[in-house]
Amino acid sequence: MTVTGFTGIVIIFLFLGSMFFFTLTRDQEKERNLRQIPAFRRIKEVIGLTVEEGSQLHVSLGRGGFTSLQSASALAGLSILQEIIKASSVCDSPPVATTGNATISFLAQDIIQGTSEAISTEGHERSSVGELVGLTPFSYAVGTLTTIRENQVSANILAGWYGNEITWLTTAGERQSSPTIAGTAQLPAQAIMYASASEPLIGEEIFTAGAYLGKKPMHVSSVNTQDIFRWILVVLMILGIVLKYLGMHDIFQSILMGVS
Amino acid sequence: MNIKFKTPFATAVAIGVGVIVLAGYFIPGLISLRFLFLRAGLVLAAVALIVGILNLFAVHIRKMAQNDDNSGYSLILVFALIATLLIGFFDMFQSYMFGQPNFQTISWLFTYIQLPIETSLMAVMAISLTYAATRFLRRNLHTYAVIFFFIVLMVLIGTLSIFSQEVPFLTQIRQWIVQVPALGGARGLLLGIALGTIATGLRILIGTDRPYGG
Repeated sequence: MTVTGFTGIVIIFLFLGSMFFFTLTRDQEKERNLRQIPAFRRIKEVIGLTVEEGSQLHVSLGRGGFTSLQSASALAGLSILQEIIKASSVCDSPPVATTGNATISFLAQDIIQGTSEAISTEGHERSSVGELVGLTPFSYAVGTLTTIRENQVSANILAGWYGNEITWLTTAGERQSSPTIAGTAQLPAQAIMYASASEPLIGEEIFTAGAYLGKKPMHVSSVNTQDIFRWILVVLMILGIVLKYLGMHDIFQSILMGVS
Repeated sequence: MNIKFKTPFATAVAIGVGVIVLAGYFIPGLISLRFLFLRAGLVLAAVALIVGILNLFAVHIRKMAQNDDNSGYSLILVFALIATLLIGFFDMFQSYMFGQPNFQTISWLFTYIQLPIETSLMAVMAISLTYAATRFLRRNLHTYAVIFFFIVLMVLIGTLSIFSQEVPFLTQIRQWIVQVPALGGARGLLLGIALGTIATGLRILIGTDRPYGG
């Protein structure tokens, strides 16, 4: 095994151990003191509004698939969809989910059906609305515009993998006067979202939906663990700068190059 | 098209396969097993694509029946889908039966219809982005918005040449913005995203997050 492989395993086990540690020793007071993220507060507001109005939420899951680097964003989007369905269980219409990836559209349908059944809302009309609207970036964006412009949709939540085409979706939401909350892991799209969405989810905020919307212990623990690892990375980076200044940076280079 | 997974079984399979694929990245003995699962995943994704297109077709047939403002677009989509499929079959038939050059008509469709449409959409996007930047300043007139807008403006002017002449001072400022604060910020965001990705992956591996079966 290379040094890189060994380091990877150590990091994963440390991350996992830390998540379990925080879950077992969790402090509910600390959970309440999570940093405020305006986008999640807005999501809760729009869910409440949707229930009152009897309208529909639109959750766009982007066009990222499962077999690529874009999978984390897609999974985060599905997690947000799941939390939204739970929170809007008393709503007359289930959220409509759009995606540009076939596998994600399957999972979206399954989540809408499965979660609705799990929270016993069979009394409601709950047809699974997980649409594959287009397979290329532009066809996906154009297909999603039709859903955004539907009269019944009162708010849009964009969570998944997007490119620059996200500007059309956020602008369309604004034109319809429906709030648009958007998050992605792709950097150029994040810059566009920051300028054009009602509430953007910046950086890793998209991955923390479970902690903020569902208050699940393991999700809150993973947020705490991310914070700890972020500080470790900051310390390592400063250490790297000092070591480089002292001419002793070969040790880090060896680890990064995977020299055993 | 409502698929019901048996949740405990699906969770066990997902965790088992996930652990093996992850271990395959670090333990050389598991590489072949990792590739086997990844190949199986690719085949399943391809099957999902076919079913997804059928779903797309069904959704738009339903929308056509609603007879609202958007039903015309659904009609065009269904027509284009069927036409492209038929042309694809015709090309395939020609290629395999008569040894004609491969998929000429489909290539023509992509080169002369799909490509120009997507290129024009790309051009429209430039306008959309400019519109978004100006709307942003009008909507949120706070310090960060003003800084954001002026940096965008400075980088744009530094990138474009005015009257075929580059403005040296602005070019240098643009280079500094792109190479120092923008690059540093992007790396910071990427580190955060990497940590978020690890956390999401591990939550799925231990079954806390289950993007299947609800």
